[in-house]
Formats: sequence, structure tokens, C-alpha cells
Amino acid sequence: MSTAEETPKATGSAAAGDDLALLLGRVAARDAAAFAALYRATHAVLYGVVARILTRGDASGEALQEAYVRIWEKAGEFDPAKGSPLGWMATIARNRALDEVRRVRPASLEDMPEGFEPAAETVDPLAARSRSERLAALIACLGNLEADKREAVLLAYYHGLSREALARRFGAPTATIKTWLRRSLMQLRECLES
Amino acid sequence: MTLSSDDDFAAAEFALGTLEPAGRARLAARRLREPELDTAIRAWEARLAALSEATPPIEPPVDLLPAIEARIRAAAATSAPDGVATLHKRLARWRAAAIGATGIAAALAIGFVAREATRAGAPKEFVAILQKSADSPAFVASINLDSRELTVRPLAAPPQAGKSYELWIIEPKLGPPRSLGVIDAAGVTRGARLAAYDRSVVQDATYAVTVEPEGGSPDGKPSGPPVFVGKLVPVEP
Repeated sequence: MSTAEETPKATGSAAAGDDLALLLGRVAARDAAAFAALYRATHAVLYGVVARILTRGDASGEALQEAYVRIWEKAGEFDPAKGSPLGWMATIARNRALDEVRRVRPASLEDMPEGFEPAAETVDPLAARSRSERLAALIACLGNLEADKREAVLLAYYHGLSREALARRFGAPTATIKTWLRRSLMQLRECLES
Repeated sequence: MTLSSDDDFAAAEFALGTLEPAGRARLAARRLREPELDTAIRAWEARLAALSEATPPIEPPVDLLPAIEARIRAAAATSAPDGVATLHKRLARWRAAAIGATGIAAALAIGFVAREATRAGAPKEFVAILQKSADSPAFVASINLDSRELTVRPLAAPPQAGKSYELWIIEPKLGPPRSLGVIDAAGVTRGARLAAYDRSVVQDATYAVTVEPEGGSPDGKPSGPPVFVGKLVPVEP
């Protein structure tokens, strides 16, 4: 397990973000050593991202590998004005995992019986050891949502639950979940931009 | 914002990941041709991305770095990001196809392309393989971006009695396809007409060949759909 003492740290703090941004810059210049350092600093967080969405270990390993190949390819596109390096990398990893879990296939994971949902424990962003400004703002805005609706957003974000999976989870019709999500997301944006 | 509120919400759900498989696939396809939707998805991803900073880390069961590095090396060996290796793969593919298909004419043309491909210089030399599919190259267009010099050679395009092949440049900024001239029997276009176009237009354009009445299109417009098309790829410096 990575610890906060390792350098550079894969946390949201501004200093760690700067370290990761420097590494990403070197990776964009095809620096293999920087890539290895970037992997060491971030892989446990990124694995945490994909493994909560893809509950199968082999699929998680595959998604992580694909994500880092993409990070190598796209490092030059990282724009510090638009977010933290870790957030940028995690978004790539998350999209790999979501593409896999939402792959159109004959027998979808969505057909799994009830109770096959990920563990009930939702990741609590409040438990984060350090908070970037962006995370702090997001947490504050999430705090304005009703508890159920906040949990739905967090379950979707951290565990990749779809509308239907959320409907099963909350015992509500899918249409209701859609309405929740719509209101919650619009409220979040309004709050973040205010 | 010109995006409809439904599309904006779809973008938000795409970023959050709550769309069902079919809906996600539909949006993934739409974002490729709808830049506003793509921008909206990226904006939503950026809004939510900070949440991932709070993800409790999990150590993978095995060290995946060596496997990732091996994949990157394998990818680099087959497709360089600047397209050079891609070109070499394509050259190899159509070379093999052309040799199998057409004999002497193709062999001559291959000699030409091989010389072009090994010529030294900055990435100003580009070629476009004009073809129906990856294994049926018909013409190779060679363009020098600095001088806008254009040469077209036939590979496997069969001559058509009473007809002419005409080359067109197609680029959204230009509007309708613009003629670059008729490809004569010797395989050279008459009149280098690329000089009038911007470098970026020349580089990004699609090149297409149509079959026209002998002597070329009578009205300056393609008489039918392209029979061969291709994009430019840089020739190795």
C-alpha cells in the first residue's frame, strides 16, 4: 500500500500535484524513468478507481494497464488549468473501467441478480487525508444535496453503478433515479460555478 | 450554451457513468462528430474529477508496470505517433498487394515511392495512398508541403477507355470538392494547383479520385462518387 510519505505523493495536495504535473510533462517528452515514477506514485489510487467499478481482479488489472498506456500516449494533452494531474489520470482510468463494465454484450453485468452489487460501503470523500481546493469545493457542494441523492452520486462515481443498479439499490423506479441525477448534477454545477 | 439541456444532462451522465450500455455507446459515437457534446462531457469529467483524489488506494495484486512498459514498447514498434511507422506498415501492405496484383507498372511506381520514402528532409514530404480499401491501392499522391508540388502515380488503377481519372481535394473549409487536375496516362496531373491552398488545408484534406469523361469534369464538379480516396501521411525525414 502506498503511503503518504512516499514521494511524489499521489494526493490532492497542491505540492504533490505539482510533482505529478512535472512527471507528466517529462512523460509527454517520452521519459521512461518519469513514467515509472508516475506509475509508482499513482497506481494504487488508479487501481482503487478501477477495482471499485470492475469487481473482477483480472478486468481491473487489464483496465489499469490500458489506462497507463493511454496516459503515456496522451500525457501531452494534460492541461493544468483544467484540473489536477491525478484527477486527469483517474478520469482516464475511470473511463476505461466504465467502458468495460458498460460494454454492450449479450449477457450484460446489468443482468446480474440483485445482491450482486458492490459492497454497501460508499467511499466517503470526507475521509480523504488531504483535500485540494477543487475537492473541498466539490465536497461542500455535495453537502447541499439530500443524503440519498448524494449517496447515489457517490455510488455512481466510485462504484460505477448505472441508473438501473441505483434503482435496485434505492428501491426506486429508474425514472426517479434519472430525475434525482439530473437535479443533483445541475445543482452541483450551479454550486461549483457560484 | 447551444447544447440542449437534455444533451447537457446526457453529457453529465456519461461523465458520471450512469448511462446503460446502449446509451453510453450511442453517446460515445455522437461525441466523435459533435464537438459541443464532446466539450460538455470533458467539462463534466473535469467537474467531478477531484472526487477521485479521495479514492482510497488499493495495491494491485501484482506489479503491472513491466506489462505496461512492454505494451508501450510494442505500440511504439508498430505505430509511431507521427504516423511514420504507420506509413511504413501501409507501404509494406500495399507494396505486397501491388506486386501481387499488377506487375511492371506497379513495380515502377513502387521504385518511385521507395525513393520518395527514403529521401532526406524535414517532414514536408507527404504521400497519400489513394485506394478503395487497405489492400487495393490505386494511386499514390506525393506532395511537398513547402513547394506545394504534387505528383500522382498510378499503381493499380486500370485505364478506362474514353474516361479520365481526376484528382480532387476535399476539405470542409473549402466547401465543395476542388479539382486538382486530370491524371494523364503517364500518371502525372496536369497543372499543379495546390499552390492556392493553405498548408494546413493541404495537410488535413482528403484526396479523392473520380472517373470523369475524357479530359476531365465538364463543369468543375465531380461527376460521381470518388472511386479512390486517401489522406496524407508524412514521409520519414
